[in-house]
Amino acid sequence: MADNKQVVADIDRSLYDFKDIENEKDFYRMEEGLTKETVLKVSEEKNDPEWMRDFRLQCLEHYENIKMPNWGPSIEGLDMDRISSYVRHKSDMKGKWEDVPEEIKNTFEKLGIPQAERESLAGVGAQYDSELVYHNVKDEVAAQGVIYTDLESALHGEYADMIKDHFMKLVPPTDHKFAALHGAVWSGGSFVYVPKGVKVEIPLQSYFRLNAAGAGQFEHTLIIVDEGADLHFIEGCSAPKYNVANLHAGCVELFVGKNARLRYSTIENWSKNMYNLNTKRAVVEEGGIMEWVSGSFGSHTSYLYPMTILKGDGSKMEFTGITFAGKGQNLDTGAKVVHIGERTSSVISTKSISKDGGIGTYRSSVTIQKTAKKAKASVSCDSLMLDSISRADTVPAMDIRTNDADVGHEAKIGRISDEAVFYLMSRGITEEEAKAMIVSGFANPVSKELPLEYAVEMNNLIKLEMSGH
Amino acid sequence: MNTDLNMKVNVLPVFTYNFLHVNDSAIDASGINIEKLSSPKPEELPQGVSLKKDISFDEAGQIFRDNKDRIQVSTGVPGAPNGDTSARDNDQALRTGMGIDVDKLMISMGAKTDIYTIQEGTKAEKPIILRYNMQDGEGALSAQVIHARKNSEVTVIMDCSSEADSKGFLGLSTRILAEEGARVTVVRAQLLGKGFIHFDDLGGACFEKGAIRVISLELGGKSVWTGCYTNLSGKESDFASDMGYLCRDDHSLDINYVADHRGKKTDANMQFKGVLMEEAQKTLRFTIDFKNGSAGSAGDEQEDTLLLSPDVINRTMPIILCQEEDVDGRHGATIGQLGEELLFYMQSRGIDEEEAKRIMIKARLESVARMIPDDEIMQRVHYYIQNIV
Repeated sequence: MADNKQVVADIDRSLYDFKDIENEKDFYRMEEGLTKETVLKVSEEKNDPEWMRDFRLQCLEHYENIKMPNWGPSIEGLDMDRISSYVRHKSDMKGKWEDVPEEIKNTFEKLGIPQAERESLAGVGAQYDSELVYHNVKDEVAAQGVIYTDLESALHGEYADMIKDHFMKLVPPTDHKFAALHGAVWSGGSFVYVPKGVKVEIPLQSYFRLNAAGAGQFEHTLIIVDEGADLHFIEGCSAPKYNVANLHAGCVELFVGKNARLRYSTIENWSKNMYNLNTKRAVVEEGGIMEWVSGSFGSHTSYLYPMTILKGDGSKMEFTGITFAGKGQNLDTGAKVVHIGERTSSVISTKSISKDGGIGTYRSSVTIQKTAKKAKASVSCDSLMLDSISRADTVPAMDIRTNDADVGHEAKIGRISDEAVFYLMSRGITEEEAKAMIVSGFANPVSKELPLEYAVEMNNLIKLEMSGH
Repeated sequence: MNTDLNMKVNVLPVFTYNFLHVNDSAIDASGINIEKLSSPKPEELPQGVSLKKDISFDEAGQIFRDNKDRIQVSTGVPGAPNGDTSARDNDQALRTGMGIDVDKLMISMGAKTDIYTIQEGTKAEKPIILRYNMQDGEGALSAQVIHARKNSEVTVIMDCSSEADSKGFLGLSTRILAEEGARVTVVRAQLLGKGFIHFDDLGGACFEKGAIRVISLELGGKSVWTGCYTNLSGKESDFASDMGYLCRDDHSLDINYVADHRGKKTDANMQFKGVLMEEAQKTLRFTIDFKNGSAGSAGDEQEDTLLLSPDVINRTMPIILCQEEDVDGRHGATIGQLGEELLFYMQSRGIDEEEAKRIMIKARLESVARMIPDDEIMQRVHYYIQNIV
């Protein structure tokens, strides 16, 4: 009987699972472990201003004092003494693809980044291990006054004060242990500033590739969308698989101005040896809109809950996410929202799929403060179980401190419905096709929120191959 | 005897973000006067029901220790949820909603347990009524075990009341074993005075086709904790719960309900309807846990909360844990004040806003009160609700 059972295949990762050998001649690699000396060494490598060096040391202290979380997946397999915090190619960042070192260029060519830039992006940043190796923004976008650059350059240039005013103000290093770690050893990432009233018609994208084994990637993304401006930012992540743990503890801070709109889309496909302990947070001013689209497919272990603070009156947030937890994966994902302003609204809609012993946990919090009169919040989370050795858990929380709010929450856990399969089969569709259609339909609310090329990538990622005997 | 209480109760089955302060609740109170350590005698013992009075709490739990493997039946498939807290209460053969600290208090204070045994095949025609008529300044601990043998049926009503302005302490523990085909209904009507500290802990286990139903009205008290953990161990066992609550002034209500599905084709349905007024605080944790092996099971948990003051605090954690493919689990929560459309409809029929609120409070609470299978207690609850609104 078991042989006749329909099989939903695991995600095909071969597209992302190629390795480039990093040699000592071309690559600089900091020794493993986290000490005051390694933090100072990173700071020296980055040519930090003094305030940043001091900040890093403060963060290290916080890291040493803050306890590990007691509520999420186990991170016992992560040993900071075996993680190198900083690995970079010895060449500088380039503004043209042809100048990027050959082996790195090949990596990004295989991932389709230059092609995507030519066809559908307003600008691209490409990070390889700890440093950006390429950054470019289209002339017409730059002419609008849009700044899209690496964070290190911005720290020393005309936007230095702006960076200082915003850097880790939204995600303070005291927030949790890995925010503190990030503050101590952050490297790479992007700075985006969209001036007042500027609408960037096509998306910007940053792509993060962690190629080195036993290393950490700690990029920092800081985006400021000024009053009335509009931006779609896309983030992609991948890594080849190794037998040792890798760590990603990035940080994303998003500032959405009055009546501005920011869409932040992520397709995360880290390898299955990755501990993805990432922090993302947005604050939204009056009338502003924050939209998250999030696909979590990779990683061994994930803690990922993009948070939105609806500070201004009439500000809005939408979160659309999908998580696919396969064999050996423990993906703890979700969203957090805090309503502060009046007439704020939030909509969280998530889907999760668990198979082959994977653990998918949806975890969220909706907080409505006393000031958030006439706030509206809606949460919907659906989980699909594809076998009985996996887990699909939903752990939502609501904290409401005003009566003048309207909060709704619903969740469902189940399997592929026999009735739906039977119905489709009665219309001449094979069982295999029927199940594939149902699973695709389940993921559809997320894929339809992505630009076409990325929706295709996501569908490739899911690659729900149906086979029967 | 004056006692200091320092207990951690209502621990979530899985921890979540610490900043929410919902992972558990603390009972910290000093100088609590606890004099009564045994339960009231029922006014009438139905035919087929036997009572053993004043057994030690530990000895009364022997029936659960003897059946621990059946209660906590497991397929052995590994895979705990993230933040799993189950190890904390491993020493409880029968897990309860509030957890092991209640057992420890009962044992340390020497509280006595009454054991009600319902004979096989007996369908008790009348309910067992336990009246906790508390006096001002009084403190009591009370525990009972309800052992419903195969194909028996029984209803137990716990009627807790005191003068409206009285204060005191009442702590209850109820442990239930519903054997094959047995049905146990527990009704809790809590109308304690507004100075009372109160907890009410319940744990139950159902073997094949066993059923536990809990009907609760939490209407009084100053600081109230209540918990219920039901092990749906046998095939086609069933748990149903209906709670109506009202929390007002600066009072607090802390709830933890868990349906633990272990047997095949088990069913759980938990409904909570409540009203928060003035500066009241309520925390509701409710969990459906589909363990591996619970194929064909269904669970539904719903909350409908009416918030009637800008100063209330309402926390809700509707959790579903799942390690079984063939299940149907769902939860829903609706939280807010009266909708504008409903108000408009009421006003168009000549009902003003205050009257509309009164109608909606009554509708929520009385829909649960009507389930009380004793006319006198039901009328008293109706009268209590009427007085409040």
